[in-house]
Amino acid sequence: MAKEITGYVKLQVKGGQANPSPPVGPALGSKGLNIMEFCKQYNARTQDKMGQVLPVLITVFSDKTFEFVVKTPPAANMLLEAAKVKSGSAEPNRKKVGSVTWDQVKEIAQVKMPDLNAFKVESAMKMIAGTARSMGITVSGKAPWEV
Amino acid sequence: MDYLEFKISCTEPFREILIAELSEVGFDSFLETDEGIDAYIQEDLIDREAYQEIIDRYKEAGKIEVKEGKMPKVNWNEEWEKHYDPIFVGDQVYVRASFHEPRPEFKYEIHINPKMSFGTGHHATTFLMLSHQLTLDHSGKRVLDIGAGTGILAIMAHKLEAAEIEAFDIDEWCVENGNENFDLNGMSKVRMGKGTVREVNPQGEFDIVLANINKNVLLDEMEVYSGLVKKGGKLLLSGFYEHDIADIQSRASSFGLSLLAQKTKDNWAALILEKI
Repeated sequence: MAKEITGYVKLQVKGGQANPSPPVGPALGSKGLNIMEFCKQYNARTQDKMGQVLPVLITVFSDKTFEFVVKTPPAANMLLEAAKVKSGSAEPNRKKVGSVTWDQVKEIAQVKMPDLNAFKVESAMKMIAGTARSMGITVSGKAPWEV
Repeated sequence: MDYLEFKISCTEPFREILIAELSEVGFDSFLETDEGIDAYIQEDLIDREAYQEIIDRYKEAGKIEVKEGKMPKVNWNEEWEKHYDPIFVGDQVYVRASFHEPRPEFKYEIHINPKMSFGTGHHATTFLMLSHQLTLDHSGKRVLDIGAGTGILAIMAHKLEAAEIEAFDIDEWCVENGNENFDLNGMSKVRMGKGTVREVNPQGEFDIVLANINKNVLLDEMEVYSGLVKKGGKLLLSGFYEHDIADIQSRASSFGLSLLAQKTKDNWAALILEKI
C-alpha cells in the first residue's frame, strides 16, 4: 500500500551545503523528520552543483519518512550569470543592467522546462524573458517567433 | 550562533529574483511560502547594507514586505530524536539512546543521544563504517575520527579497545554532543576538537583513520589523510555513493592507499584502504 502523504516542504538550498540550521532544521524538524538524514542525502546528491542554490521539493509521509526531488536552479540565477551581472535593476523599466540573447534565453528555458508549467519551449522562453524584464535585463534582438 | 529570519512577502516573479540576489550576499537557504519566501542568515554574517539595497531595489515592483525575527539556537531534530528505533549491527553491536532499554547480551553497546549531530547508526554510511570497524583489530591502536558527528565511530573504537583516540568535527553542536556521548560511554578522557583536519592538524601517525563525510571533502583532504595513516595502517572512508567508488579509489591510490575491502548498502559505500 502506498504511504500516506502528510505534506510538502519547498526549500531552496545551496548544493552540497545543507545543514540543520534554519530553514532546513525548523521546516523538517517540526514534521518529525530526521534532519541529519536529509542533509546527508541532499549533500551527496548535489555534490556536483556545489554552492548553486537549488529548489528542492520534499514529500513528507505519515510514518515520518520523506522523499525529495532536486529541481533545476532558479531562472533568475541563470539570467544573472548569463548577463554577467551581480544584481538586477531598481527601475527595471527605465534602467537596464545588462542583456542576454534569445539563444541564451532558449538555453535557460530548455534547462528549466522540466520544472515550468509549459509544454513548448517557446512558452518557457516567454516566462524566462518575463523574469529578465522584471530584473532589468534586456533580451536583445527579435524573438524567434517574431522573425 | 543565532540566525536572523526574514519573512518576505512578494509577488510571484520576485520570489525567484530575491532568492537569486540574496544568495549572492550570504543567504544560503530559503523556505518557499504561500506569501513569498523566508530567508535566513547567521547573525554575524549579514551584510545589512547589501541586504537592504536588494529589498529597496524591488520593494515597489515586487510589493515587498518584510518581517524580521531571530531564531534561537535550539535542537531542531528533537522531535525525531524522541522516538527512533535502536540500531543493531550484526549480532554484536547495539546502538541505543537513553530512552532505549540496555541490552547486555550484545558484546558492544553504544549509547548515543544525538542532539542534532550525525551518527546514530540509522544512516547506511554509519552502519557500514561500524561494520568495517568490526573486521579490524583496534586493540592497543591509535585511532583518529575525522568529522566525528555524535562520536559514534570513535566510541566503537573505544569499545574495540583502541589505546588512544582523537576526534573532531567542524560543527559546534557536534563538539558539544560528541563530548556528552563520550561521557555516556566511559570516555571522559577523550575530548572532541573543533575544526577541519587542516585546522586541527593532528600530530603523528595513526593506525586507523576514520572519515565519514562526503565525496568532495574526502577528495580534497585525501592527501592529508594519507599523511596521517602509518605504513600498513588503515583508512576507512564513507559518505559517498557506490558510483563514486572509482573516483575515491583513484584519488586514494595516488597517495599510496590501496583498496582492501568495500561494503555497500542502499547505494551508499564504505571502503577500507591500506597505506602501502
